[in-house]
Amino acid sequence: MSQGEQAVEPQEIADFRREVRAWMQANKPADPGFKLPQSFLEVESDRQFDFLRAWQRKLYDAGYLGLDWPAEYGGKGDRLQRQRIVSQELSRARAPFLVNVIGLQWAGPTILHYGTEAQKKRFIGPILSAEEIWCQGFSEPGAGSDLASATARAERTPEGWRVTGHKVWTTLAHKSKWMILLARTDFEAGKYEGLSYFLFPMDAEGVTVQPLIKMTGEGGFNQVIFDNAPMPKEALLGQEGQGWQVALTTLLFERGAAEGSGGGQATSSAESVHRVASVAKRAHRDGRAAAQDPVLRDRMAALWIEEESLRLASLRARVPGLNVDRPQALRLMNKLVYSEFNQKLSELACELLGPESTLWLGDPNAFDRAEWPRAYMNSFGMTIGGGTSEIQRNILGERVLGLPKSK
Amino acid sequence: MSYPQLPTDFGFTEEHDLLRQSARRFLDERCTIQDIRRFSESAVGHDPQLWKEIAALGWLGLVLPEAHGGAGLGHLHLALLLHETGRSLLPVPLLASALAGFALEAAASDAQRARFEPAIASGETLATFALCDEGGGWQADEIRATAEPGDRGFVLRGVKPFVMAGAHAGLVIAPFRLPGGELAHFAVELPTERVRVESETGIDPTRRTARIVFDGARVPATARLEGGARDATAALQRVHVRGFAALAAEMVGGAESVLLMTRDYAIARKQFGKQIGAFQAVKHPIVDVMIGVELARTHALAAAAAIDHGPDTAEVPARMAKALASEVYPVAVRRGVQLHGGFGFTIDCDVHHYFKRALWSRAMLGDGTHHRRQLARHLLGPLSGTAPE
Repeated sequence: MSQGEQAVEPQEIADFRREVRAWMQANKPADPGFKLPQSFLEVESDRQFDFLRAWQRKLYDAGYLGLDWPAEYGGKGDRLQRQRIVSQELSRARAPFLVNVIGLQWAGPTILHYGTEAQKKRFIGPILSAEEIWCQGFSEPGAGSDLASATARAERTPEGWRVTGHKVWTTLAHKSKWMILLARTDFEAGKYEGLSYFLFPMDAEGVTVQPLIKMTGEGGFNQVIFDNAPMPKEALLGQEGQGWQVALTTLLFERGAAEGSGGGQATSSAESVHRVASVAKRAHRDGRAAAQDPVLRDRMAALWIEEESLRLASLRARVPGLNVDRPQALRLMNKLVYSEFNQKLSELACELLGPESTLWLGDPNAFDRAEWPRAYMNSFGMTIGGGTSEIQRNILGERVLGLPKSK
Repeated sequence: MSYPQLPTDFGFTEEHDLLRQSARRFLDERCTIQDIRRFSESAVGHDPQLWKEIAALGWLGLVLPEAHGGAGLGHLHLALLLHETGRSLLPVPLLASALAGFALEAAASDAQRARFEPAIASGETLATFALCDEGGGWQADEIRATAEPGDRGFVLRGVKPFVMAGAHAGLVIAPFRLPGGELAHFAVELPTERVRVESETGIDPTRRTARIVFDGARVPATARLEGGARDATAALQRVHVRGFAALAAEMVGGAESVLLMTRDYAIARKQFGKQIGAFQAVKHPIVDVMIGVELARTHALAAAAAIDHGPDTAEVPARMAKALASEVYPVAVRRGVQLHGGFGFTIDCDVHHYFKRALWSRAMLGDGTHHRRQLARHLLGPLSGTAPE
């Protein structure tokens, strides 16, 4: 859960926030004049990629990334709270998102948690500087929600391992140097015990990256075919057979259920009800501003209440005494509630635009350059990716409420 | 008006947690579901012994000033306490007493507060606040009861229904309209001649109410609360804002209880050879209630923190808290009854106690529709007068 700017803060923190805010104002890149992706899920062209990568580099050089990561690996060894402030200010400034989000938020924290000294020294710095981009090889055609049934195979060789298999929905695979890869190393062992976790080099022989096109017509994610692709011994992260446990750690970070990522945000537009309210004032229906329609007003107010509840929950989550009945609930809810909120909000924006919502990307008359129908369609990346909303509900029911397992 | 600034930790301290813990311990012992069943069937509708005990715990004077026998604590304390009492359906009129305290704080002179508050804090006087006027109107422009100046005082006329603990109260505070049209709050000691207190048969037997009829009652000039820092309309608004937050906290406690009952049943009950909680058609609706409860609880706590931080800017947080609680609690009880199956809508399934409290609580001090309409003004500006149907 992000944001939290409307809070009374100690002087030192308020000073830091002011400094970051001023820096953002001075350094946030201007509109490049071409279509930018709405999130890391739809980076297509080289110029988009170069633009975003340069922005992350600039932020890193300014000392605003990896604040709470150890200094010996390229971080700043500072407090988590400061990184949080940077993320909030990025969001507030509506700055471009950080293109290496999979490195910063998923791979990086997992490597810091399970990596050897050599792995930490090797990988963390280039993650922060965006020199090396990461992707994630978890899902397969036959292993989506049931991720642990993955069948991509990693076989031992004298030099290390060879991988054969098929990964899908692989965001940024076409731009990545590395992949966090979940593969089966033991077909005799149980479903969970047979998995291992690797840091796979995407430039290996036998790797084919094929783009997948989303319903918006945008690319940015892929399928990756491995045909006996080699990787060295040191590619293994954690122990052989420990892959499921390591993957769960990645998923905790991916879903925002754990803090300690390298920083940044995954989307540029932290959609807010106030932005949709401004759309409602500009859009017309039934001969008046949509903002004057009592039914739409009611629905916008409901989303405002929800948006504030999410922002406030991120504050409350950090006060253990206000979470004694269910200490893990707010963190484990995070991904589900945010993704569903953003979906509802962008859908409402489309609905209140009425006929204006029907023009698509590229049409000169499209309202807000078709941002809203595009955002609504893209919102499904977040309710499906990283564990579907349905799987999130299973996790909450079983892990937080103690209900019996569904399978 | 947007959402005001809050301390990032909501102002929470260890002291808050001690109150929460001691409240839960006391209620787990003295206010069990068996007690609630018994109370619901009792003809009397008040438990003087329990009343004395909560007075001794300091709950009745929790937010009243220390100089007047109170504990001088803040709204976050009150919210944590009301969460617990709502969770247990505590059937003594703590909320009524709190609202009366809000009214004194908002409208009364120091002398009037010094006169009434010590007896409220000690439990000697059971005080209540008449939220509604005849027909259920409760906002400033809906108050129809009148106060006419007469010899050495006022003559009060009008009907105040749905008054919490009205039949047992020794003091009722209520807004009346003066001949010039402005409002004034009166503190009327009961019994008083030409004030009829008629017990109502309410939907929620754990929260007994009465209809108080002022039939030309003569009260002294000193019964009018005046001398506070704000006019009576602003004072009423302040009572309401604090009331939204307080009732929301209590409602979330109730929803929490229903969530746990439903969860426990889904674990215990087997059909098709499985615990029903393993079926996603049962599991997911329970999870959605949990999410609702957590978000509503967040708003209830934040609204309390906002009042502690600055009551005059707490309207948006308090409305959000009451709006969300008014959606979440009714959903929790609806799913609670439904998921208990055939047992769920019998009198033996304890969910119904909460079901009735949820309906009562949603109806009072504005439901979700009401508060969202008000919040929309803050978000989108006023609705112009000529909006077509």
